[in-house]
Amino acid sequence: MSFDPLGDLEQVRRGFRWGETRPSTWAPAAPAVPEPATDLAWARTEPALTARKLIQRGVSMPFTELMARPHVSGREWLDQLDRSAIIVSNHVSHADTQLLLYALTDRVRERTVVSAADDYWYQEHPWVGRMVSLWLNTFPFSRTGKPQTVLANSGMFLQSGWHLLIYAEGTRSPDGRMGPFRPGVGYLATQNRAPVVPIHLRGTDRIMARGRSIPMPAPARVRIGKPLVAAPKEDYRAFTRRIEDAVRTLAQGPPDDAVRGTWVERWRASSPGARGRR
Amino acid sequence: MSRPGAVVEIDRTMPPVLFHHGEGVRLERLPVGSRVIYGPDPLPGLPHPQRAIRRALSHPIEDDPLPSLLRAGMKLTIAVDDLSLPLPPMAAPDVRQLVLQEVLELAAEAGVEDVHLIIATGLHRRMTADEIRHAVGDRVFSTFYPERLYNHDAEDPEGNVHIGVTEKGEEVTLNRRAAESDLVIYVNLTLVPMDGGHKSMATGLASYRGIRQHHNVKTLLGSRSYMHPPDSDLHHSCIRQGQLIEDAVRVFHIETTVNNHSFPSIANFMQKRETDWTASDQAAFLAVKQVTDLAPTHIKRQVFHSMRAPYALTSVRAGQVDAVHEKTLESVREQLTVEVEGQTDIVTIGVPYIGPYNVFAPMNPVLVVCTGLGYLFNLYRGRPVVREGGVAILSHPCRYEFDSVQHPSYIDFYDEVLADTTDPHQIEQRYEERFATDPWYRQLFRKSHAYHGVHPFYAWYWAAHAMQHLGDVIIVGGDRDTVHRLGFKCATRLEDALEMAEQTVGRHPSISHLRLPPLLLADVR
Repeated sequence: MSFDPLGDLEQVRRGFRWGETRPSTWAPAAPAVPEPATDLAWARTEPALTARKLIQRGVSMPFTELMARPHVSGREWLDQLDRSAIIVSNHVSHADTQLLLYALTDRVRERTVVSAADDYWYQEHPWVGRMVSLWLNTFPFSRTGKPQTVLANSGMFLQSGWHLLIYAEGTRSPDGRMGPFRPGVGYLATQNRAPVVPIHLRGTDRIMARGRSIPMPAPARVRIGKPLVAAPKEDYRAFTRRIEDAVRTLAQGPPDDAVRGTWVERWRASSPGARGRR
Repeated sequence: MSRPGAVVEIDRTMPPVLFHHGEGVRLERLPVGSRVIYGPDPLPGLPHPQRAIRRALSHPIEDDPLPSLLRAGMKLTIAVDDLSLPLPPMAAPDVRQLVLQEVLELAAEAGVEDVHLIIATGLHRRMTADEIRHAVGDRVFSTFYPERLYNHDAEDPEGNVHIGVTEKGEEVTLNRRAAESDLVIYVNLTLVPMDGGHKSMATGLASYRGIRQHHNVKTLLGSRSYMHPPDSDLHHSCIRQGQLIEDAVRVFHIETTVNNHSFPSIANFMQKRETDWTASDQAAFLAVKQVTDLAPTHIKRQVFHSMRAPYALTSVRAGQVDAVHEKTLESVREQLTVEVEGQTDIVTIGVPYIGPYNVFAPMNPVLVVCTGLGYLFNLYRGRPVVREGGVAILSHPCRYEFDSVQHPSYIDFYDEVLADTTDPHQIEQRYEERFATDPWYRQLFRKSHAYHGVHPFYAWYWAAHAMQHLGDVIIVGGDRDTVHRLGFKCATRLEDALEMAEQTVGRHPSISHLRLPPLLLADVR
C-alpha cells in the first residue's frame, strides 16, 4: 500500500458521483498532456481538477444560474457521446464559456478543455490567463500563426480523452451576429475522427457585452444540437461549412430535426438504458 | 389488505376531530352522538407500475394492442390530463410520466415521427413549463417541449374544429390536431368517479361551444351526483359527445387510478384517523397548528402548496373508452367508498387549502363554494349525506383574496355578479355570455395563465345542486362580509354554527362530519 492521497482523492471523487450513472466505460482518465508544457498541463492534474470542481460547484454554477437563468435544450446528446468530441459554439461574450460549461453534463464538463486565445489571455495577461485556466480549464490556442502546432496540440487532447470546446469564429462577435467559421475546426474533426457537437448561445451579450467587465443579469438560452460526424471522404472545409450551418440553424428557432435530431433519435439518446449500454 | 372506510359515532372517549381550514387545521369536538365518516385507508400500490402499464398497453380491453395501432408515417396525438388532477399534485414520478414513457417507447419503436403531446386543459388555465415538466418528466419534456408538447387552446379559432351535433342537439368541438390525427391516445388519471371516460376528451380538448353544452345549470342540477356517473346528466351529455368524437377519430384510451395517500409523511396526521394518532402525530399537529396560526398567509400557502402527495398507482387499463372506464370506476370505488346508513340534518366539512382550480394560488371565495358545496358535498352516491333542507357547515377562512393572474374573471364575478344575485339561473341568463366572450379575458386565457372568462360561472353552477338541496350554509371562521356576499351565514366557532343551524333544522339535530381529504365517496343508503 503506497501513500497516495491524491490518488485516493481522485478515486473518491470519481467513485461517488451521486445521482448519476457511473461512467464506467468512459475513456480512462488520461495522464496529463505531456511536455512541452505550453498548454498548461498543470491545469489538468488532479489537485487542479478538484479545485476546479469545487469552484464550479460552489461558485460558478450558482452564479450562472442566478445571472442567466439558462434555458438549456438538447442535453441528451451529450449523454450519447462515446468518445472525445469537439464542442463548437458561437461566441459573443466572455460569459459564453461559463454558460457553456453550465450547459454541459457533469461528466462532459469534467473532461472538457476550452480553447482560449493565446495572444489575449496568455501573452497580454499571463496571470489572468493562468487563473482562467484553473477556473475554466483553458489552454492557449494560437490565432496568429503556428497552425500546425496548435492543431497537433489540440489533437492530443482529443486522443487523450478530453473534449475540446472551440469558438470556431476565432473571436467574439462585435455586434452579436455570427461570423464565418475558421476551417481549423473541420480539420481537427476530420483528422481525429471526432464528432462535433454544435451549440448556439443567445443572450450572453446582454450579460456581458464586448467591452464590458461587470456582468449584468439577463436570461440566456443554450441549444445543443445532434453531434455531427464527417462523412468518410468529406473535405474538412465542407465539414466546417456543415458545422456552421448547424449552429446557424440552432440559432433560428425552433431548430429542425436534421440538426437537433428527430424526436425518436432524441428519445433514444435520452434513454437510461442507452447510457447503461455504452 | 387496507382497512375499509368507517362511520364512527362520537362518544366521550373519542378524540377531537380534525377539520381542514384553508391553509390551516383545527381540532373540533363534535356533540356526542354525531358521526364521523372516514374513507378507506390507502390501497397498496401496484408492485411494478411500469410492467403493469406495458401489460395494459399490450392487452387492452375491447381494443387492439397499442403496438399494432402504431405505424411509421402516421399522425399520432397524445393528450394528457392537466394539473387539476391529482390533488395535491403527485410526487415525482407522476403517473402521466410513467404512462407517456411507455407509450412513446412503443411509438419510437414503430418509427412514428409525427407525434404531438397536448395538455387537455379545456377551459382551465395553461400550465407553466415547470408544471408540465413535473407532470410528464424531464425526458419527455426535453424531447418535445415546446413545439410538440403544449397546452390545448380552447379559444384558438384555427385550432378547434366542429365535429357535429349529438341527437340531443349538443354541439361537439375538438382540438384540430387531435381531430386530424390517425390515432389519439388519451392518458387519464381518475381520482374521483367524476373524472375520466368520455368526459376526458369531451371537455379537455373542446372549446367553450362544446363545453357549455353540459356545463350549465340545468345539466348540473340534473346530476345527482356527478360523482356517480349513471345518475349524472353531465356524464350522459359527455358520453353523447364522446361517442361522436369516437366516430370522427380513432381513440385509444388509457386510464389510471391512484390510492388516496394524499399527504407526505411530514403531514401524516392529516392522513390518519384521529384515533390512530401517535405522540409524534400529535406533536406534528401542534407544530403545524401553531405555525399556521402565526405565519403570514403567503408563507403558509407556499408551504402547503409545495406538498406533494405520495400517491401510488393502483390500476392502469387501456382500450375502448367505455369498457376501460367501467373497470376504472370499480377501482376508484374500491378506494373511496364508505357505506353510510341514512342522512343527517347537518353535515360539517373542513375545506382544505386546495381545489382543482387553485393549484399554486389562493382559494378565492368563489372557489371555496365550488370546492365545499360543489366537489366535497357531491362526494356521495345515492343520496347526499345531509337531508334535503338540512344545513352544511363549512370551515374555511374565506378571505377576499384572488390571484389576479389565474383568476381575473373571478374578481369581476365576485364584485359585479354576486353583488347583483347569487341565483345560478339568473347569473347564467344575465352574465355568462358577456364574460365568456370578453376579449380581454380571452387574451389572458390564451396568452397568460388565466382561467377562461366563463370559468367562475361554472364554479358557481357546480354548487347549484347543493344550494338547491340545502336549507342553509354556514361558514365557520370566514370573513363576514365575504361570506355574506356569497349569500351564506358566518359563524366564529363551530358551536355557534351548530346553534345557528338548529334554527333551520330544529333542536337536537343529527350531525355527520366528512373527514376529508383524504377523499372518500359516501354510499348513502
